[in-house]
Amino acid sequence: MIPLEGFLQTLIAGILLGGLYALIGIGMTLIMGVMKIINLAHGELMMVGMYIAFWMFELFKIDPYLSIFVAVPALFFLGIALQKFLINPVLKVDSILPENQVILTVGIGMVLANLATIFFKSDYRSTPVDYGTSAWYLSDYWIDTPLDLSLSVPWTVSFLFAVFITISLWFFLSKTDMGKSIRATAQDLDAALIMGVNVKLMRVVTFGIGAGLVGAAGCLFIPIYYLYPSLGGQFTLIAFVITILGGLGSTIGAIIGGLILGIFESMTATYIGMGWAPVGRFVIFIAALIFLPGGVASLLKRQRFGK
Amino acid sequence: MKRLSMLMIMMFTVGILAGNLFADDTLELSIPLPLTGSQAKFGEMEKYSYIIAADEINARGGIKGKKIVLSFEDGQGKPEVSRSIVEKLIDVDKQQVIIGDYSSACSKAIAAVANERKVPYLVVTGADDAITQQNYDYVFRMNPSNAYYAAGLISFLKQVVKPVSIAILYESSDFGTSGANDMEKQALEMGMKVLVKEKYEKGAVDFKPILTRVKAEKPDVIYMVSYVMDASLLMKQLKELRIDAKLFAGGAAGFAIPEFVNNAKDAAEYVVTATLWSPQAKYPGAKEFAEKYKSKYGDYPSYHGAEAYSAIYILEDVLKRAKTWNAEDIRAAMKATDMVTAFGPIKFEDKAGYQNQNFMDTLVMQVIKGNHETIWPESYASAKYLFPIPSWRSRK
Amino acid sequence: MKKYLPLIILAILSILPLIGLSSYAMHILILVIMWAAIGMAWNLLGGYCGQVSFGHAAYFGVGAYTSGILYYKLGISPWWGMPLSIVVVSLFSLVLGFIVLRLRGPFFALATLAMGEVMRVTTENIGWLTGGTLGILIQKRTWVSKFGYYYIILLVAAGTFFLIKKLIESKLGYYFVAIREDQDAAESLGINTTLYKTIALCLSGALTGIAGAFYTNYMGYIDPHVVFALHDISIVTIMIVMVGGVATYWGPLVGAIIMVFLAELIRTIPGLGAAHQTLFGILLIVIIIFLPNGIVGDFAKIKKIFKQEAPRNELN
Repeated sequence: MIPLEGFLQTLIAGILLGGLYALIGIGMTLIMGVMKIINLAHGELMMVGMYIAFWMFELFKIDPYLSIFVAVPALFFLGIALQKFLINPVLKVDSILPENQVILTVGIGMVLANLATIFFKSDYRSTPVDYGTSAWYLSDYWIDTPLDLSLSVPWTVSFLFAVFITISLWFFLSKTDMGKSIRATAQDLDAALIMGVNVKLMRVVTFGIGAGLVGAAGCLFIPIYYLYPSLGGQFTLIAFVITILGGLGSTIGAIIGGLILGIFESMTATYIGMGWAPVGRFVIFIAALIFLPGGVASLLKRQRFGK
Repeated sequence: MKRLSMLMIMMFTVGILAGNLFADDTLELSIPLPLTGSQAKFGEMEKYSYIIAADEINARGGIKGKKIVLSFEDGQGKPEVSRSIVEKLIDVDKQQVIIGDYSSACSKAIAAVANERKVPYLVVTGADDAITQQNYDYVFRMNPSNAYYAAGLISFLKQVVKPVSIAILYESSDFGTSGANDMEKQALEMGMKVLVKEKYEKGAVDFKPILTRVKAEKPDVIYMVSYVMDASLLMKQLKELRIDAKLFAGGAAGFAIPEFVNNAKDAAEYVVTATLWSPQAKYPGAKEFAEKYKSKYGDYPSYHGAEAYSAIYILEDVLKRAKTWNAEDIRAAMKATDMVTAFGPIKFEDKAGYQNQNFMDTLVMQVIKGNHETIWPESYASAKYLFPIPSWRSRK
Repeated sequence: MKKYLPLIILAILSILPLIGLSSYAMHILILVIMWAAIGMAWNLLGGYCGQVSFGHAAYFGVGAYTSGILYYKLGISPWWGMPLSIVVVSLFSLVLGFIVLRLRGPFFALATLAMGEVMRVTTENIGWLTGGTLGILIQKRTWVSKFGYYYIILLVAAGTFFLIKKLIESKLGYYFVAIREDQDAAESLGINTTLYKTIALCLSGALTGIAGAFYTNYMGYIDPHVVFALHDISIVTIMIVMVGGVATYWGPLVGAIIMVFLAELIRTIPGLGAAHQTLFGILLIVIIIFLPNGIVGDFAKIKKIFKQEAPRNELN
């Protein structure tokens, strides 16, 4: 095998991974952008989405990708309920540090993970779909290829779904009234209020959308990953990294951030060592915080206004 | 004043906790286990196994006429919580023997306390070599130390596979690291070349980058030490990248649980794994236990279950032989243990730098037609091993 | 009364072990006091100075490993790690502060969170120094009895308490609060915000580091997953302060009692099994919804409730 093949295979892996990461990150970037809250229960919401997909598969043999249509609405309403009944009351009160909502989200995460343990046991679950390990191989189509590259079927399908969902979200945010109102709320709360945006409603809806998106990410992850009650934490972290890389509240930024992260992690794993991959993740995270405080989104903006 | 009253309440509750809960015809036994958090799966499996064993013994009239009453405390996989539990068991409940917990980190925390307080502690699953290398008089370990986990596998490699090179992938935990280090040492002794030795963070999503590197090196054997489902992800992605090797080998844990086959499906086929025990193991009661567990909880237990199940039987044996049921006599009786359990022969020896360590044959299982079959050593085998294995491309 | 309260509580805490508590109760007390000390340290940076750190595990872990490495590499008693950790962690905080302190609000929070994780993975990867993921096991702890440990950590906590109290009541304290309330305004008033934030960070880090060094000595075993834990150290620290009361002297102690002692009580309720975490999580949610400034911070609110119900029972 020649080095080029390894490089290309790594790049493919990085892009596929990045697309999926992006979808996890988008939910959080919306929530953080609009409400300025740090949601530590993000991964747990994803876990809930995964359990929905799992049980749909287990009980009704419904393909996890189809479960998106169940998981997204379910998490949308769960998100709305959480926002309305738990988070809003805390945000409303004037407290010394606004970060006290963190405890709330930690508490919510704890309860969600623990309820899953109680009701579903801690077993490792997965949806062993038939196409779980199938892949397309370049050598099947081109017998004498010098590069034997492969493309996993479920990874690719998940990736395409993620891209599709992200594009639809982008359309929603930029073309619809409600989407515009959400963006206005994120950019300048007071101005949005003056312009007659129903800020309160926007916040509730945003949390719902954020939860729904991460629920969708759960459905896309379960065919290629597995599930157990306490898996949330690591995905919360990834979502943070992408949010910062991409810039708060920016959909496009989150996509690019996800891709950067995915490719960077894969490259670190191949060329430095997989044990260091998490270090790499946080190093670009901190670098982005310092050198690119607005995330990728700020670069894009600069270009657009020719600055 | 509020703080004061709070302290009062605190002391009051501690007082209540200190009250003795002993009844005469029962033997109360509390076991620390991770029931929440990322290790909870194994905590649950052990919990069920303890219960099965206790019920069996109680059905026969208990130990010296006393029924075992089990309770479980959630250590959450955190050493300081495990320590809290054990301090409580020793001080408040006056329990004279400690068994249990799952991870090496928690077992280490408990072992230190138990030895200081001179209460015998039976390690059930903690595998780190160091636990029984500290000159602890009161710490006994029924599972082999991590260095021996792969002993069966190594003899299989030597006699059947005869590889010249190996790639080692392991998760960055103490279990993974010490397993990988031991395998590296043994491989070098056998004259193999270690081409890749890489660790990864538990729970990683994508192994393809690192596997791409493995593919470039073309090792004879790919040896992986994974706690949990990383094992099946690794195999799935190996299949997907069509990385061929003479043998795919796993270092117990994640490769030996039934979920591995259920999740990796056809990618799991032909994979061999080191294990301490299998449901087909030819020890008295092994099969019965496995079947009973399956009928109750739906799947075969892995060796962790057998360890927990047998721990109660060791305890029964020890308590029957102990002169009195205080810590010193229990320790003496435990030291003299020489029995065969469903998990295998148990005898606590001081040798090779270990104290009170049980040494036993470890087995090799292979996934054959979607089932874990014992293949090595041949005297224990339930099926003939399949070797050489077909390349990914030729399978279907 | 109020003036002497710290001394009274210190006196009570110092004679508490003499009434013959079980080793288990002592263990819980030690953990409570250790966490209270960490909480106070966090409070200095987070509560007073307004820099909410999500990465105090980094300081805790560096302190713990200072002790651990002394023992593991040099064979020196890990107790020396406690004084040494002040130096090591201060230097570490200085470097870290240089990187993260230019950030504000949620960005600062997330950067510190990342720092904690970077430290954990780095420690795992430099096995020649730290023992890697195998951790460091101290073969023989100094004492079997808990008295020594108890008084050492009590001393640390009391020192932390009085140091912070002194600091907050000095001019420095006003600068800190000014930075928390409005950093730009503080800057325009001529306060060198970077300097004061760095001071707060270094002090907070060093005090956390001592607790970490104590942890090594007390538990006798550390590994990267334990001492650099994001949830079990960094976030628990925040919760202790927030539940107890941000920017209050007693908040961290009350918070530690809730997070350690109450959590232990709930955990040991018979028959609850794994469900104890749900109960505890709900408790946290309820506390923060009804007492957004924590128990001590919103003590007036609690008083009011009791006043309405039983006006005569009020003591304070």
